Amino acid sequence: MSTFEAVIGLEVHVELLTATKLFCGCSTAFGATPNTQVCPFCLGLPGGGTPVLNKRAVEYALKTALALNCQISPEITFDRKNYFYADLPKGYQTTQHFQPLGKKGYLTINIKEETKRIGIHQVHIEEDAGKMVHMGDILSTPFSRVDFNRASVPLVEIVSEPDMHTPEEARLFLQKLRNTLLYIGVSDCKMEEGSLRCDANISLRPLGSKGLGVKTELKNMNSFRAVYRGIEHEIERQTRILQEGGEVTPQTRHWDEETGVTKAMRDKLVAESYRYFPDPTLPPLKISEEWQMEIRSSIPELPDSRYTRFIQDYNLPSYDADVLTASRELGDYYERALDTYREPKNLSNWIMSELLGLLNTHNMDIVDCKVKPHDLGNLLKLIDEGTISGRIAKTVFEEMFATGKKPEAIIKKKGLTQISDEGTLLKIVEEILADNPGSVEDYHSGKDRALGFLVGQVMKKTKGQANPQMVNELLREKLKK
Amino acid sequence: MDLDFANLMAEQIAAAMKGKKISPAELGDTLFRRSTRAQKELNLFISFDQKHIAGEIKRIEQHLPDKNCSLLGVPLALADNIATDDQKTTCASRFMAAYQPPFTARVVSQLKENGALLIGKTNLEEFNLGCSGGSSFFNSVKNPWDLECSAGSGAAAAVASGLATLALASDTRGELRQAASYCGVLALKPTYGRISRKGLIDIASSLEQIGILGRCTSDLAIALQVLAVPEPDNPSTLQIEAPPYASLLEKPEENFKIAVPTCWNEASHLQDEVKNDFQEQLENLDKLGLEVNFVTLPHFKDASLVATMICAVEAFSNLSNMDGVRFGHRETGKHLQEMYIETRSRGFSSKLKKFITFGGLTSTPKYYDTFFRRGQKLRTLISRELESCLAENDLLLTPTTPFKAPSFAAPVSGKEFPDPAGYYTAAANLSGFPALSFPLFYEGRLPGNLQFIAPRKHEAALLQIASLLEKEFSSHRPKFALSLQEV
Repeated sequence: MSTFEAVIGLEVHVELLTATKLFCGCSTAFGATPNTQVCPFCLGLPGGGTPVLNKRAVEYALKTALALNCQISPEITFDRKNYFYADLPKGYQTTQHFQPLGKKGYLTINIKEETKRIGIHQVHIEEDAGKMVHMGDILSTPFSRVDFNRASVPLVEIVSEPDMHTPEEARLFLQKLRNTLLYIGVSDCKMEEGSLRCDANISLRPLGSKGLGVKTELKNMNSFRAVYRGIEHEIERQTRILQEGGEVTPQTRHWDEETGVTKAMRDKLVAESYRYFPDPTLPPLKISEEWQMEIRSSIPELPDSRYTRFIQDYNLPSYDADVLTASRELGDYYERALDTYREPKNLSNWIMSELLGLLNTHNMDIVDCKVKPHDLGNLLKLIDEGTISGRIAKTVFEEMFATGKKPEAIIKKKGLTQISDEGTLLKIVEEILADNPGSVEDYHSGKDRALGFLVGQVMKKTKGQANPQMVNELLREKLKK
Repeated sequence: MDLDFANLMAEQIAAAMKGKKISPAELGDTLFRRSTRAQKELNLFISFDQKHIAGEIKRIEQHLPDKNCSLLGVPLALADNIATDDQKTTCASRFMAAYQPPFTARVVSQLKENGALLIGKTNLEEFNLGCSGGSSFFNSVKNPWDLECSAGSGAAAAVASGLATLALASDTRGELRQAASYCGVLALKPTYGRISRKGLIDIASSLEQIGILGRCTSDLAIALQVLAVPEPDNPSTLQIEAPPYASLLEKPEENFKIAVPTCWNEASHLQDEVKNDFQEQLENLDKLGLEVNFVTLPHFKDASLVATMICAVEAFSNLSNMDGVRFGHRETGKHLQEMYIETRSRGFSSKLKKFITFGGLTSTPKYYDTFFRRGQKLRTLISRELESCLAENDLLLTPTTPFKAPSFAAPVSGKEFPDPAGYYTAAANLSGFPALSFPLFYEGRLPGNLQFIAPRKHEAALLQIASLLEKEFSSHRPKFALSLQEV
């Protein structure tokens, strides 16, 4: 039985965060009543006017191309891709065919402790189509509705080189891409709302071969998990066909999340001709060096360099750096807290276990977190200064998380300050020893566990406010006697 | 009525309206009576009715106190591929026969705001595809000078018959000027972008421009002044203020240097009559003391073919929105694909279908380089040749069409490819340069024409030369093509 290698390329469509559409003043807001964000132009009505290019969209696309290390075309054209479909109001899509904005870029992913570079074939601007609303399954729907609110919303399409070979690589690439786009703030990249959409081209070849096999295009993967599972399934399907001596049919396939299989949509036996030609209503646009410089300087630090910096400057393990740079907001949060509390690893531990833990439990994002970075820093300071114990700190933090109150206020209100007064503690220790003669005996007969029990009793009595270190020391001293 | 608007210039009509020498109500009645009669004779309208004319009269009465209305009460005809929100806009296509746009073209609003009175929407070839007849869902328009001949367009016929003082229609490869030539009226196709194209249902965006039809230069100047207002939110329009055309006409430039392309007499189907008239006019210009030079424009002769090819590719794409999903005609089908095919097969004329099929073929990857890309290169070449010629000369002069209004019985063009009517006119569309067609009248013969092309943005030069010639020819101004005065 021969062994195959999968060759995977991704085509990613990303909606840009502009307030208005690519060529008209209609709003791009998500979730409006269908067909309320439309005008004669984006509805493709006869005489509906000429396109007025949204400069902000070009700016965002340029930012994207630069962040993905692309070469930028000095002059770009807008071209028409002509085809008929019910979601395409004008009967053509304005895209970039002849002179796309960016070419030959790359992104790196970290896989199995290694860094791998994935090529970006091109980055270009185009308009979105409307949205078909099917009644149930796409293949059996008796009729479909169309919502044109999305028609002409600005997109960038990012086409990768076929440099990926496993579903995991594809998922990592897509996550890195999403993260990068979120860092530069050009899109909200919400796969569930369709503002980030990913199609995959998948083919197999005998391991060691350099050629390319027959590919299928996989659509309708609406989450990272779906991308992973869809590609995994498609590789399995193609492997089975080839191992049985069959041939893969070039076709577009649809990932079905519920049944977990890919289904054939249409065959691609005849090369599609979209009759591309330059859009006669849009003149070529110059992308000047100055403009590129200006946009380049507006790009914030990207995940890769921040990751490296976190390891070098803060001495963080690569795992911590990876987690903390996974989103721009989390990285920003960490660094802002660090301004208050200068113990990078301690802070990282707290964020990764406590903060992310609570966010996860409540299914929240860091941007929704009520705890101000400065307040978290202060909380950790209070632990280090011995004002509260680590255990109390967790309780305080839970309240901070729920209410957004400052740690000092919570501690004061609830009287949670640590008891570090030797006289007070000694009195309690003596009481506990008197109440638990059995444990004292156990301790003296060599059972170290008994000490832990006695510490616990002191903590219980003080509602956790006793300074645990001091309690330990006092107990040992008393037990010696 | 003391004054018949048909004998008056736009300026005089506006003055008479302000001076209450013409009553709006009577004007409305007369226009409706004459339109009904003209429609019966010529088939020049697609939409016109008493109710709309009455509405227009009411609107104009409200304008009366406003002294700044330069077109107050001036009857206007509008080609039916320019959108109006109160009347259907059909583009003379079956597909669009019931289409009611939810908006009005900017040009229409501009003229109406200045008091113009919209009589109705005029007939044209389907989507303004040429002037040679056979594609309008509403049949051909008869020429007011000879009912056996084609008028080219309802807009030109409306002006020629004295019904409309002004008309707006579009010019893709020369349709506006060709129809003006057949009907003996003036036509001005301004520089591409000088007048807003908002609300024009264009078949070929890069070529097509709305132009003005009229009976005298001064009327064209007034209309152009109203229309040539920069549209800041539309980058496809010229962002420069227009010069004061009317005052430029008062002191016309008289030392024009005029170039004539040596290939002017190489047009196929060039009629002897047209050839002789043109030669005679060259002598006339000489007598007027104007300098006439013959120039070689090696690719001028290819303009019609190149424009046809580009027009077809753009038409294929521009008309792709006509799919029956959101508006217009719709046939039923078992599935989407079949619905498209049925709808478009029945919604379009066979002439248009052939044309867009040609455009679809020309833009397939197989023929893209051989035809379309080569056509684009030729377009650049033709524009450059014109530009350098017009750097040396003020105007380029040719006949407008190689032949006079073609008869229905023996049409000159229509089957040939490219349409021979576009031989002289297409270069101005390819280059975006302004052009003007000037009518010549002869006793007992169909009108002839001269075409002038000026450098980009130099509409003033076109109006000045027309004004100069107008004075020369004032003695042989003819009576109207159709006697509607008694109606």
